[in-house]
Parts: sequence; C-alpha cells; structure tokens
Amino acid sequence: MSGPCLFFSTLMGDDAKSIARGLQKRDPDLLDRLIEQYQYRLFRYLVYVTGSRERAEDFFQETWIRVLERGHQFDGKSKFEAWLFAIARHLVIDWQRSKKAQSLDMLTDPEQEHPLQLADESDPSPLHQVLSQETQENVQASLQKIPAIYREVLVLRFQEELQIEEMAGVLSIPLSTVKSRLYRGLEALRGALQGGATS
Amino acid sequence: MSENVHDRALKLIGQARVEGIAEADSTWLRAHVETCDFCAEHARQTDRALRLLRTSAIPLPEGLASRTQFRVRLRAQELREREPRHRLMWITCGVSWALGVSTAPYVWRIFERVGQHTGAPKIILQLSFGLWWAIPALIAGAVMLIENARQASATGWQEQER
Repeated sequence: MSGPCLFFSTLMGDDAKSIARGLQKRDPDLLDRLIEQYQYRLFRYLVYVTGSRERAEDFFQETWIRVLERGHQFDGKSKFEAWLFAIARHLVIDWQRSKKAQSLDMLTDPEQEHPLQLADESDPSPLHQVLSQETQENVQASLQKIPAIYREVLVLRFQEELQIEEMAGVLSIPLSTVKSRLYRGLEALRGALQGGATS
Repeated sequence: MSENVHDRALKLIGQARVEGIAEADSTWLRAHVETCDFCAEHARQTDRALRLLRTSAIPLPEGLASRTQFRVRLRAQELREREPRHRLMWITCGVSWALGVSTAPYVWRIFERVGQHTGAPKIILQLSFGLWWAIPALIAGAVMLIENARQASATGWQEQER
C-alpha cells in the first residue's frame, strides 16, 4: 500500500475506533454529531430501499435508536457507515417480515408510494432548476422501475461508494452475488434511463 | 467485427465501472471503443446513467436530524435510568449465590433434621434443597422476563404508530 493510502486508511481506522469508544459509552454528543454527519446518506439509502419518504423517515429515527442501544457491538474494525447501513437494512427487513412480505421488492407499495420530491437548491437559474428537476425526476422514476435488490446495490456502490467487500458485509451475501447484482443493476439502470429518455 | 469482440467490450465496460479492470483490458477496450460506435454509445449511456445516479438529490425532511437527536437523547436517558436497576439485580443475584454457597452445609443439616422429624424420604429432601437453591435464579429470571415483555410491548406500540 502506498504512503498516502496507508495514512488515509489508518486515519479512517482511528476514526472508526473513536466512534466505537463513544458508542460504548453512549456518548450523546457523539450521537448528535453522527446523526448530523450521516443524515443525508442514511435517509437517501432508506428512501431508495423502502421507496417511500414517510417510511424512510420512520426507519431513520429507528436506526439511530438501534445505534444507541447496540452501539457496544460496533468494534471499530470496519467503516461506521457500513455498520449503520446494515442496521438500517435489518430494521427494514424485520418490518417487512412482520408484514409477511416475500421480498425486498414488496417494500414498494405503488398505491401508497408518493412521488419523490426533488430539489436542486444550489442552482440559481430558474430554467436550469426546471431542467435539472426534470432530470432528477427522470432518474427517480427510472430507479423506481428497477427491482429493489438492484437499486440497493447501485446506491451503496455508486452513491455511498462502499467497497464490494463492505457491501457483502452490509447485505450478508457473497461477493459474487454482490457483483452479479451490480452488473444487472447497472444494465437495468442504463436501460431504464434510456427508456425514460426516449419516451 | 465478430460478435464475441462486442460481447467482451460490453462486459469490460460494466466491469470497469463496477470493480475495475486490468491495464491490458483497459487499453484493448479504449482501442475498441474508438473504432466501434455501438460500444462507444453503450459506454456513454452507462457513464450517463452513473453520473445521473451519483448526482441525484433527495431533499431531507425539515428537522429530521433534530427530531431524531431528541428521540435518541430521550432513549439514552431511559437506558441510563434502567442501568442502576439492572446493576442492583445482578448484585442481588451475586450476593444470594454467595450466601447460598456459604450456608449450604447448614441448610442441608436443617433439611436433614426436618427429614428425621417428619420421616420424609431422602429424595423429597434433596428436591426441596435443590428448589431452595434455585429460588433466587427463578426470581431473577421472572424479573427479566417481565422486563423484556414490557420492552417488547413498548416497541410494538411504536411500530403500531408507524
């Protein structure tokens, strides 16, 4: 491993260890910081997995309560976000089981689902905002066409930038399955966006 | 150009984005894409899909973080309040176990004397002695079951709300 990489990985390890120490003590200030820091990523992941903003909001809160209660189980040897996403995913699956659903796809109830509201606050031009919003809506609509198991791996890999090994840990599946889901997901996304663009 | 060449190129386009490819494969792919419009278009569409995915934004609900922080702090307080009760229970269990061990010979003598007076069979005396030993553990187990049931009903209530 090269010098800067080693330094970066050591830094990340130290960070995870200090988080682990804080979680052991149930340090409320640390939890406040973590909620602030990971709010966007966790919420986005939950929205994509559940397909609903309202459900994502409930699971968001429940995930952090679980982080507080099970904080002592995080050993700091892996990335905190991988552990956080695994907790969130288990909560969603537990809820899904309690509703007697058959698969992760069942989480998306088209009748209850509200279209995702999109915003691009950083763009000053109204025309650009409209165009950007259309693109965003197109992306969201395309993502909703993809089965949830593929949507989930795409989000973890290309938005959260988790390594394939970390994803295997989060999803509790073999590396080969993660890869095949990624290939299929990528194809499905490309196809869905192409379909959206031509329609 | 043979179909296998395109298949290889399409496979490498996906692989390059998902897990990376070797330098030799990358060089071959670049050369192929420069001369093949179909594969070049496929690569462009794949990159566009990934760019859109990476830049897609989902606005956060207002005050979600602060509401969560408040709930987490409340729960932390609850857990802190429960901790002394748990500690007290474990201390009680420990003390009762230590007392049980240290007084066992004397208690057994009492059981023997009662047996002599009542003429009860030895097996009854042994069972009674065993039960006397198990009482603290049974009480601790019952307390924990009640506590868990209370916690489960609280969680169920929260889920019903959801």
